[in-house]
Amino acid sequence: MENKLNRYEKIAFLGEGQFATVYKARNKDTDEMVAVKKIKIGSIQEARDGINRTALREIKLLQELKHQNIIGLLDVFGYASNISLVFDFMDTDLEVIIKDTRIVFTSGHIKAYTLMTLLGLEYLHDNWILHRDLKPNNLLVNKQGILKIADFGLAKTFGSPNRIYTHQVVTRWYRSPELLFGARKYGTGVDMWAVGCIIAELLLRVPFLPGESDLDQLTRIFQALGSPTEETWPGLTSLQDYIQFKPFPGTPLKMIFTAAPDDLLDLLSVLLCLNPCKRPNCKTTLKMPYFSNRPPPSKGSQLPLPSNLLDPEISQQCVSTRRLFHANFLGNKRGKMIVLNC
Amino acid sequence: MDEQTCPRCKTSRYRNPSLKLMVNVCGHTLCENCVELLFIKGSGNCPECGVSLKRNNFRLQLFEDSTVEKDVDIRKKILKDYNKKEEEFFSLKEYNDYLEEIETIIYNLTHNVDYIETMKKIEHYKKENRESIIKNKMKYNKEILELDRLIEEERQHEIDKRESIEKQEIEIKRRKIIEKEALIEELMFSDNDAKEILNYFSENKNKKENILGINKQLKKDNSKKISYFSTGVRIGIGDSNQMYGKVLPKIEEGPLFVYVEPQLIVDGPSFPTWDNLEKMGYLRYTKQESIDENAGGFVSAYACMRALQEAMCGLYNISKKCDI
Repeated sequence: MENKLNRYEKIAFLGEGQFATVYKARNKDTDEMVAVKKIKIGSIQEARDGINRTALREIKLLQELKHQNIIGLLDVFGYASNISLVFDFMDTDLEVIIKDTRIVFTSGHIKAYTLMTLLGLEYLHDNWILHRDLKPNNLLVNKQGILKIADFGLAKTFGSPNRIYTHQVVTRWYRSPELLFGARKYGTGVDMWAVGCIIAELLLRVPFLPGESDLDQLTRIFQALGSPTEETWPGLTSLQDYIQFKPFPGTPLKMIFTAAPDDLLDLLSVLLCLNPCKRPNCKTTLKMPYFSNRPPPSKGSQLPLPSNLLDPEISQQCVSTRRLFHANFLGNKRGKMIVLNC
Repeated sequence: MDEQTCPRCKTSRYRNPSLKLMVNVCGHTLCENCVELLFIKGSGNCPECGVSLKRNNFRLQLFEDSTVEKDVDIRKKILKDYNKKEEEFFSLKEYNDYLEEIETIIYNLTHNVDYIETMKKIEHYKKENRESIIKNKMKYNKEILELDRLIEEERQHEIDKRESIEKQEIEIKRRKIIEKEALIEELMFSDNDAKEILNYFSENKNKKENILGINKQLKKDNSKKISYFSTGVRIGIGDSNQMYGKVLPKIEEGPLFVYVEPQLIVDGPSFPTWDNLEKMGYLRYTKQESIDENAGGFVSAYACMRALQEAMCGLYNISKKCDI
């Protein structure tokens, strides 16, 4: 244990989530860059329960998963009552890339991101795992242009005949209509819907369906895609939280995504199908003509990186903050000197 | 006519330095104020020759001699119709005759010689050469547009250049100020020798200037590209396609995607495919999904398939421990 603790040298603070703080670190043995996710202890009650549930899920599932497009769990170590997970180091995530207005996506870029997401997801579904929290923020990208699915805090095995699942999963904007209607048993459709929303976001560069509440989310979905009926979605009315919506005609996808080619619109129309049974799984999706058609997916080296990873200007900014810090430090010193003079 | 005066109110440039003389198609001048006064309704008669004039046709007098002014005016009008080019004639002589004819017409009109007859001649010419006149007009318009485009491009280029220079200057100024502050701070609070600090800073300065010089060049290149692009897109006549070709770098394309189904490591007896589950009757032994489960996207095939896989996987596996 002692060994493991000292194996990693903390380099920088990367971010903080609800359950954990993430640091950039270096493996002293191999000189590799890694990300260390230190799980927060939380309240005393949680601490009494033992290891944090999301951390347990991540460890349990990721230990056994190994795929090019899934984040690799390299190591786990504990210290006192803390537990830390060590992951592949990734430079950025898709949300940052989408939001960076200086980046222009070509159709090859969009195809490459979609493809990598689906390949990773296919592997998960093949191994009977639902991710249940797909969103651009959880799709990490490194400098080599490889996308990896991360954050398995909500992931769970599926396909049990009698287990009841919670519908309170997936960030709202990427949540499928069956979850919003309170379905307690569902399948790969929930992840496929999220992928559809992510592709839409890649095209629009803003979230496709940014609902403000669960009800607003459903309204936005139906406004864009038309409201479902018992014919288009059998059993709809028997869903637990079903509510009648006023019928919307929906907008043709061609009108929403004016720049998208027809093969991509075909893909979107099946991924964003309201009835989850009509939504294809990863295998069927990957066989669709969009992926084999021209243009080919961009190579990893051609994928864009956010400007903060490239621009020397930003690093200059860092320098200037350091200077500011220096100045502050000097200011303190000055204060001391005055005290001394007194 | 040494002193320019308005023939109506007799104001001269001496009395009113801001005097603006206007001229209309008849060639008689009037000052701006008189035009305001006389043509308040929009049209009226020339006070000198009584020809009815429109106010909109008044324009600033460019030449002191009103006959020249009139000549220029008429020439403009005539050349709109008499717009044949040298290439359209078989010989130089014919072209010269044509030019001579134009000159005669213009002279006649400016000096009111055979006015009606000349007008008739023009009408006749217009009727006969209607098509070629329109054709030439189009050509002329295109040339003008092309010229405009060039001018616009140049202007844009100029603006970009100026902007980048301004930016650089501001940047340099900013840097200088920062440097000065840092130096002063350092001198005030550092324990080092003042000379050393000064030396250190001047060295740094040189380095930075070198870097700036490189940046300058880079920036210049950028601005060039942008101006090309923006004008190309904005105006987009004729050779804009060529411009796109220049701007977009040729991207080396990777291979097309070919789907290969991942192979599951079973290490046990093979199990049916998804399509075969129902055909081979496996689904009969799993609980059928209810309506609401199905509406949520759950199918009993999931449970069936997973149970089968879990049962078969690893059956043939002989762990290494057993070997020993």
